[in-house]
Amino acid sequence: MAEASGKTLMDLISADPTPIPAKSSSSASASASASSTASPAAASAGSHLQQPMSTKTTLGEKKSKRATLTQIHNDTISVAKAALIPVKANIMPQRQRQKKKPVSYTQLARSIHELAATLDQKSSQKQLVNHVFPKLAVYNSVDPSLAPSLLMLNQQCEDRNVLRYVYYYLARILSDTGMSPGGGIPTPNWDALADIDAGGGVTRADVVPRIVNQLTSEASNSETEFHARRLQALKALTYSPSGNSELLSKLYEIVFGLLDKVADVPNKRKKGVFGTKGGDKESIIRSNLQYTAMSALRRLPLDPGNPLFLHRAAQGVSFADPVAVRHSLEILSELAARDPYSVAMTLEKLASPAGALQDILHLNDVLARVALARLCHSISRARALDERPDIRSHFNSILYQLLLDPSERVCYEAILCILGKYDNTERTDERASGWYRLTREILKLPEAPSKDKSNKTKRPQPLIKLVMRRLESSFRSFSRPVLHAAARVVQEMGKSRAAAFAMGLQDIDESVHVNSFSDVLDDAETNDSSHPEGIRRTSSISAGPGRNETIASLLASLMEVVRTTVACECVYVRGMVVKALIWMQSPHESLDELKSIIASELSDPAWPAALVNDVLLTLHARFKATPDMAVILLEIARIFATKVPGKIDADVLQLLWKTCLIGAGPDGKHTALEAVTIVLDLPPPQPGSMSGLTSLDRVSASDPKSALALQKLVQAAVWFLGENANYAASEYAWESATPPGTALMMLDADKMVAAASSRNPTLAGALTRLQRCAFSGSWEVRIVAVQALTTIAIRSGEPFRLQIYEFLYTLAEGGVQSQLSEMHLSNGEDQGVSGTGLGVLITPMLKVLDEMYVGQDELIKDMRNHDNANKEWKDEELKKLYETHERLLDFVSLFCYIPRAKYLPLGPISAKLIDTYRTKHNITASSGSTDPTVLATGISDLIYESTQPAPAASNSSGLDDDLVNAWAANLGDDGLLGNNAPAMSRVNEFIAGVGTDAPDVDEENVFSRPSVGYDDMWAKTLLENNELEEDDARSGSSSPDSTGSVESSISSHFGGMNYPSLFSSKPSSQATAKSSGSKYQSTYEGYGSPIREEPPPPYSYSEPQSRESFENPMAESSSRSYGSDDDEPRKSTGTRFGTALYDFTAGGDDELNLTAEEELEIEYEVDGWFYVKKKRPGRDGKMAGLVPVLYVNQS
Amino acid sequence: MILAVLFANSVGNVLIERFNGVPAEERLTWRSFLVKLGAENLKGVKNEELLVACHKSVYIVYTMLGDVSIFLVGKDEYDELALAEAIFIITGAVKDICGKPPTERVFLDKYGRICLCLDEIVWNGLLENTDKDRIKRLIRLKPPSEF
Repeated sequence: MAEASGKTLMDLISADPTPIPAKSSSSASASASASSTASPAAASAGSHLQQPMSTKTTLGEKKSKRATLTQIHNDTISVAKAALIPVKANIMPQRQRQKKKPVSYTQLARSIHELAATLDQKSSQKQLVNHVFPKLAVYNSVDPSLAPSLLMLNQQCEDRNVLRYVYYYLARILSDTGMSPGGGIPTPNWDALADIDAGGGVTRADVVPRIVNQLTSEASNSETEFHARRLQALKALTYSPSGNSELLSKLYEIVFGLLDKVADVPNKRKKGVFGTKGGDKESIIRSNLQYTAMSALRRLPLDPGNPLFLHRAAQGVSFADPVAVRHSLEILSELAARDPYSVAMTLEKLASPAGALQDILHLNDVLARVALARLCHSISRARALDERPDIRSHFNSILYQLLLDPSERVCYEAILCILGKYDNTERTDERASGWYRLTREILKLPEAPSKDKSNKTKRPQPLIKLVMRRLESSFRSFSRPVLHAAARVVQEMGKSRAAAFAMGLQDIDESVHVNSFSDVLDDAETNDSSHPEGIRRTSSISAGPGRNETIASLLASLMEVVRTTVACECVYVRGMVVKALIWMQSPHESLDELKSIIASELSDPAWPAALVNDVLLTLHARFKATPDMAVILLEIARIFATKVPGKIDADVLQLLWKTCLIGAGPDGKHTALEAVTIVLDLPPPQPGSMSGLTSLDRVSASDPKSALALQKLVQAAVWFLGENANYAASEYAWESATPPGTALMMLDADKMVAAASSRNPTLAGALTRLQRCAFSGSWEVRIVAVQALTTIAIRSGEPFRLQIYEFLYTLAEGGVQSQLSEMHLSNGEDQGVSGTGLGVLITPMLKVLDEMYVGQDELIKDMRNHDNANKEWKDEELKKLYETHERLLDFVSLFCYIPRAKYLPLGPISAKLIDTYRTKHNITASSGSTDPTVLATGISDLIYESTQPAPAASNSSGLDDDLVNAWAANLGDDGLLGNNAPAMSRVNEFIAGVGTDAPDVDEENVFSRPSVGYDDMWAKTLLENNELEEDDARSGSSSPDSTGSVESSISSHFGGMNYPSLFSSKPSSQATAKSSGSKYQSTYEGYGSPIREEPPPPYSYSEPQSRESFENPMAESSSRSYGSDDDEPRKSTGTRFGTALYDFTAGGDDELNLTAEEELEIEYEVDGWFYVKKKRPGRDGKMAGLVPVLYVNQS
Repeated sequence: MILAVLFANSVGNVLIERFNGVPAEERLTWRSFLVKLGAENLKGVKNEELLVACHKSVYIVYTMLGDVSIFLVGKDEYDELALAEAIFIITGAVKDICGKPPTERVFLDKYGRICLCLDEIVWNGLLENTDKDRIKRLIRLKPPSEF
């Protein structure tokens, strides 16, 4: 941190003779990326300095502000030199430049000590306020050796300004926990200051108790003259870190003591008192104290079980000070989220129509009303209050009244509360009923105690109308925060609506809705670009239907205004609008408009990559909410892939493809695959051409970097196609009924293609695409395409295998190019006309297919011989056959994953013979597969509970073939299960709404973007090539040797000449299986245990499957073997980490209280309980104890 | 929670920063993200015109005041609109102290008082005082309401 940002501060405010310790104390990560930013910063600082330097001679000697500044600027030079000149020389003033002493931290510290000693002189105070203290503020912390002087100042100084600074710095010393708390220049190493006489060897531990004591006594001083200092002392105390329980209890004591005195006084509440001079002294002092006490209470940790805490917080609602009221409401709303019942009981009176809560509706503090909305929401939705509908309706009515609030912030909060969005936990039922409430309920103002008679909303108003009107007017605002927030509210509406659809809550209105909505959509297409027109039209539409307004028409007119908002120049607003549109899009509506909006949006180069990926993640979330939309979403994703290939995260896109493919279900998966692979139908990007910007189907990869990214995406798509085409087409060799002989007879290529496409158009289409890629793509794409074709050849039955075989054969010979040359499109690269390069690659692939065909031929020959001679198969013959079978299996497994138990490299006719041999020799069908839990990768978990009922453990024959195949096609073993793929965690994080991680920044672009010639850019891409590969290597680190998924990290295999299917499929599927197995070990308690209500772990049904399909007594043993795996880690040891998901109140001595999101160290697990340790002791002082497993999210 | 308050000069050097609840290792990225955001978008923006951005569920509102750009980062209840409210108070206070939209020099001159103001406006990551007079009184160590 220090260098880039720090330099200026350091440069401008002071010169520091000890830059070296400062540097070393800054974190390592800082220096790493600071190095890239440091030079422009330094350069700019340097140029900045030239100018004041010249004016120095005229102004330099005066003690004016200007002079100080000049001096400061000049100090910079000495700092810059400090690196070169030994430190000693630097302590001496730089003679040639400067006659004044540079102001270093050490000197600031020294001046404070000196000035504190000579406090009686007026000049010292002035010096402190004007020079010393402001400069000290630049540093991120204040070292404890200053504390004695500060405390002395605090006791002896009378000057308010000095004292204010003293409190400020005392608070900073208290808040400092060793790491830089608030930013700024790192303070020079405190050890280096030890030689300062006054403060030598003082540590934090020495001074903190002294500071706390002094502040505590000041906070308890009730003299009127001391009033203001008392407030500041209490404020400073709240800065102390909450880890110190002793200090904490002291603080509680002070705050409660204060509230005891000031809170209970019968309160004549005057509205708008705030700041008026009218009140009597006593009541003003009381109000000030109430304010400070409540502010302090707000900063203290919440104490949910404590009735006194609740009582004090509730008293705050009637305080005169608006800030105090806000804090009390905030505390209450947080308490209500945990324990709505007791909060509701405490506030019962206040919520009644003439109660204090009604007054808050008119309080001039936005955040107070926001907190009120949250409070009302928690209470009105509380199940605990089911038998008190009266209380709930009071709070509900207040919440609805907040919809009329003049502030957007409050109104939106109320809308979000009504929609069921309270925090980041997404609950579908809550969301769905939120949509129901919004569309059904009506705001009736209570027989208003309000004075304003002009209230037009006297008539009961449907909520939806109020909300729509409000949002529409917001979208006409010019303020970007308002637009952004309004779009966000619409997005949340979309989420709730989707949830309502998913729960089947739609009714008559929705059918009306669908028709009229799409009608409006259609005319809206015509003029949506021009902003003012759109608005005018909207108002006419919304005025038109008059009383017959339906939800549909309201929504339609709203959405039209939303669409016009894409004209906003702020890209983030537009991003939010696009997200809102995606959420509001329903499965049955026309997609064209959304598509064209997104396409034209993405053509704007201003879109940052982070935002683009955010939208991509929104597609994920949308898919999760409505799996029906898979195809629509894929089409949108495709726009991203083609428009901004350089900005999107290939991992996330692949994951989206895959989840959509699976989620589309048996009917939709063909279309889903189509949608994915349309990427491949695009003409290769023409370098330098900008003509593609307007068309949807053209790739706008005009710069080399994105052309490269597009190529990677195409590789990913090709790979995806190869891996998943069989799944999408439901075509598997091991299920194919066609005997190989029939295919051999159709050697005529044309007939074969015709037969293939009539039998399975999906697979045939995929093959055509891959074939085209295999000769017309770039080098890397062709390699992947050939591998993909091999995968399909191995997995598919005839005639596809033969078709591919023939294709590969000709490709190896170099003949295809001419044959298919009319499809050939150049991307400016040498196509490798002869195909000889690929020949090397293809040979082993052809070999495996050759061997399979030879094996099949021989088998057929042998069978005929046996049939003709009418003799039984001998054991040696069977053995030979079986060995060939196994050898081929091993061979094939090198290329792609196939289920060994089912796969028959010698064709379906070999099944019977192999089975006979196996039964004779008691060979387990699955023995080839080293890890039986491979079968347990848990397809059921792939699909979310709502779309696919988990197969019941007892249902031995109910294993869905489709699911087995999905898994076989490697769809199963991705991050969906283990959640360990980086892309998946990003998706989950996004959907869960967490977002404190710092954004990614292109360090190189931070300061300036020098214009570069096109040639330079080409040169640069050559260099960046390496970088990209390194990146890939990093992103691919999860696979194949770790437990990550192949798919999500597949891009790593495209960097060079790797063979994805050679390395990726099998090892990683096993690894994932293991990881998923271990995941279930923790939740599944062995077979006999009836503890879990969750869907049965996947391997409980894979066991009967393996037994049944192979009819092999030995299968029993395999299932037993992983049954026993299961028992061993019942009490698993080894330290893991986790976070608390919910609050948990200990039920006994050995149990531990938890606060949600607390970080935990998991020691071990016993019978559904974790023994955990906290990082620091909880409120009850306990560090460790038992908590239920389900309350902990293991990380 | 207001995660960060950051002041930068026109060339993107940080003048004041206050982080709340942001791990030390993330601060650098936030800092460069914000500075980059400003460099890209704040050219030619009018004084106090509010710009907005978001990253995951974190909101950013920023603006230009004289030579100084001001960034606020918040999450949860501090969404765009609440941050807009807060930044309005902060710009108001800075203008009050500096007398007008500040040049970098004036800003640095009043550095100490601006820090104190900020201390009264954002306290431990929560918005505290919003009223100008009240802030003015508090930084001179007077009680919030005078008697």
